[in-house]
Amino acid sequence: MRDLVGQYLSKSISRRGFLDNMKATGITVAAAQGVLSSLNASAQTTKSVESSAPPVVKTFQGTGGACFAEQLMACGVKYIFGNSASEDAQFYEALVDRPQLNYILTPHEGPGAAMAAGYIKASQTPTIVMQAGAVGLMNAMGQVFNAYKEQTPLVVYSYRTDQSKRAGRDGFEEIANQEQVLQPLTKYTWMARGSSMIAETTRHAFKSAWTPPFGPSYMTWHSDYTQERTRTEIIQQSHFDTRMRVRPNPTEIEAAAKLLVDAKMPIMIVGDEIYKAHAVGKAVKLAELLGMPVTQMRQIWANFPEAHPLWVGNAPSGTLSSITWPKQYDLAINIGNKMQHNGLAPIVPHNVKFIDMRIDYQNMGKVMTTDVPLVGDVALGLDDLIAAVEQLLNDRIRAEAAMRAAEVRRYTEQARLLLKGIVNNPEWNNSPLIADRVTWEVAQFADPDAIIVHEAGSVAMHSFDFNPVGGRELFFYYGGHLGSGVGTSAGVKLARPDQQVICLVGDGSFLFGPHALWNMARLELPVITIVYNNHAYAGPHTRTIANVPSGRMVETGHYMGSYLGNPDMNMASIANGFGVQAEVVKDPLQLKKALARAKAQTLEGKPYLIDVQVARRGIGWTETPWIPPVKGRPMKQKKA
Amino acid sequence: MNILFNSRLLVLLLSSLLFCLGAQAQSSAAPQAASETPSGEVQQGKTLLQSKCAQCHTDSIWRDQRQDARAWEATLYRMMGRGAVWSGSDIHAMASYLATDFGPHSPRVFTPQ
Repeated sequence: MRDLVGQYLSKSISRRGFLDNMKATGITVAAAQGVLSSLNASAQTTKSVESSAPPVVKTFQGTGGACFAEQLMACGVKYIFGNSASEDAQFYEALVDRPQLNYILTPHEGPGAAMAAGYIKASQTPTIVMQAGAVGLMNAMGQVFNAYKEQTPLVVYSYRTDQSKRAGRDGFEEIANQEQVLQPLTKYTWMARGSSMIAETTRHAFKSAWTPPFGPSYMTWHSDYTQERTRTEIIQQSHFDTRMRVRPNPTEIEAAAKLLVDAKMPIMIVGDEIYKAHAVGKAVKLAELLGMPVTQMRQIWANFPEAHPLWVGNAPSGTLSSITWPKQYDLAINIGNKMQHNGLAPIVPHNVKFIDMRIDYQNMGKVMTTDVPLVGDVALGLDDLIAAVEQLLNDRIRAEAAMRAAEVRRYTEQARLLLKGIVNNPEWNNSPLIADRVTWEVAQFADPDAIIVHEAGSVAMHSFDFNPVGGRELFFYYGGHLGSGVGTSAGVKLARPDQQVICLVGDGSFLFGPHALWNMARLELPVITIVYNNHAYAGPHTRTIANVPSGRMVETGHYMGSYLGNPDMNMASIANGFGVQAEVVKDPLQLKKALARAKAQTLEGKPYLIDVQVARRGIGWTETPWIPPVKGRPMKQKKA
Repeated sequence: MNILFNSRLLVLLLSSLLFCLGAQAQSSAAPQAASETPSGEVQQGKTLLQSKCAQCHTDSIWRDQRQDARAWEATLYRMMGRGAVWSGSDIHAMASYLATDFGPHSPRVFTPQ
């Protein structure tokens, strides 16, 4: 009985668990309730004189599943994204009396993982996504790949269906070395060797994922460990995950500052580490101090205010040489961009001096020659670099910076003016719509602080004037495993309920993962989803031809993997099936009206989807594209 | 699952060397008649195209297209949202050139692999 009292007072067992255990020892229900009442009164008295903060370290006894739940709470987890997993029964049991942990059932593991990742990106707080054994894990892996490429601290768990006493027999749902499957996609992967190690393994997974540079981690254990009773330590996140913030080497900071003030035309490249470190204001300050033009290679977020006069636009093809202006830069400084190379040429040419500031040390110096490496947290690094530059400023340098800023402003004002001419496209009023018209209409419609989740890879993003400081935010992707957009949007809306969330997605991407529409309906997450539906894989079509120009495909019009029509898919009907109101639109006027209806619905807490019929444009498209001549009916030998 | 991801597009993108090669390939693929007697705007459009489009890609991405000037204009306007900084007159001139050498009736040159 003493143990039971201890467990109850330490919240290791629930009220019901206490009563059941007391009854099991032969004590009557009335007597047990009497003991419980006095314990509650005692606990209340104690609580009133103690701090309400949980202990840093506490000893906990219970099932492995309950230990897991306790450690998740100590990690700061509020939401758990998962798909039904019978061997996690004791974990579900533990959730019943722990309302601090909210379980979100996702009907497919891939979009479920995307939803978790979206929540992390928008809230920058920990969460976990879990699946049923190896079989569920396989569905989630695509989004784990995205998390790895995009450096999202997603913690992933799935049990080993094989129990510890019968593992290794190639049993049901069993694969050998399950944890190793995730090895190339994670920062940390581990199988706990016993129920008492579940909490510690959980801590390792969260610490690894959330130690910069961020990335996913994976943990697993035999399913019987979740059921087994054990005793373990539960430790608060603040005391095992130090969220280390590294400061760049001061000597290198001084060298960087000297290079910057001596440069004739320095250019700044911004990236996602700025958003993660809440350092946009500091990046703006450094750029303004030196009158530096600013650009960005493909990232998730827009990391600089796009209406700022020093913003010269994204690098269209991901290399510095692809920006229109300036061309005569003599120094480039990267602040937190991953600089993911997609071609042979280095993003920053070797003949340009290069300062590289980021915490992603592993990717530094790989392709580009680096004059000054500044390994560290970009917020701290910017503080130090700004201070170092300010010390070097004199009248001559200030005058040069002011002249450069004026020159950059002249270009950016002209560029912005020219971009407004996009509406002069002769196909602007066409039906079906051109993709640029859809984007433009959405940009006119979106709230001033809307979040745009963009997974329409072949669609150009323009006219939004993204501003990560209080304006419209972009949540793009560069992992490339498709089907993330809808799930990401649901997760973002869960994290940011007071901001309008609009999901822009191509029909191909949408079809890889529409399942989170159901979560939007169930959880009342009023996201507006816009599907650019051209019934085609238009991007791959264009790139396929570019890979084999003037070849037999072009000559015959036989494009194997381009056309998604015949029959045409109706995304509005799919949305309806998930409980989301939706409609199909075919011209600009219909789109305007549909957006107004979407807004009305979302203000009532309901998600909405618009399937916009978009024109196919590019080489080889016809009204009725060729499809490979495979039909089942001619093969039939009998009625069946 | 990554078939829509446009990193493949980026793989194709140019260095200035590739641009030179691309421009040569374009010249050899295009019919000669128009370029022998170009009007001022057509010639200007060709020059603009060679300097501006090569910022991002080779001619392999468009040289098999055959369409009229209006459709070429629409194609070029689509590039503006992707970062092209062009004026309406730039686009008009480039479309004039493209409609001359890559118009609906311009011969195609196929090179089976």
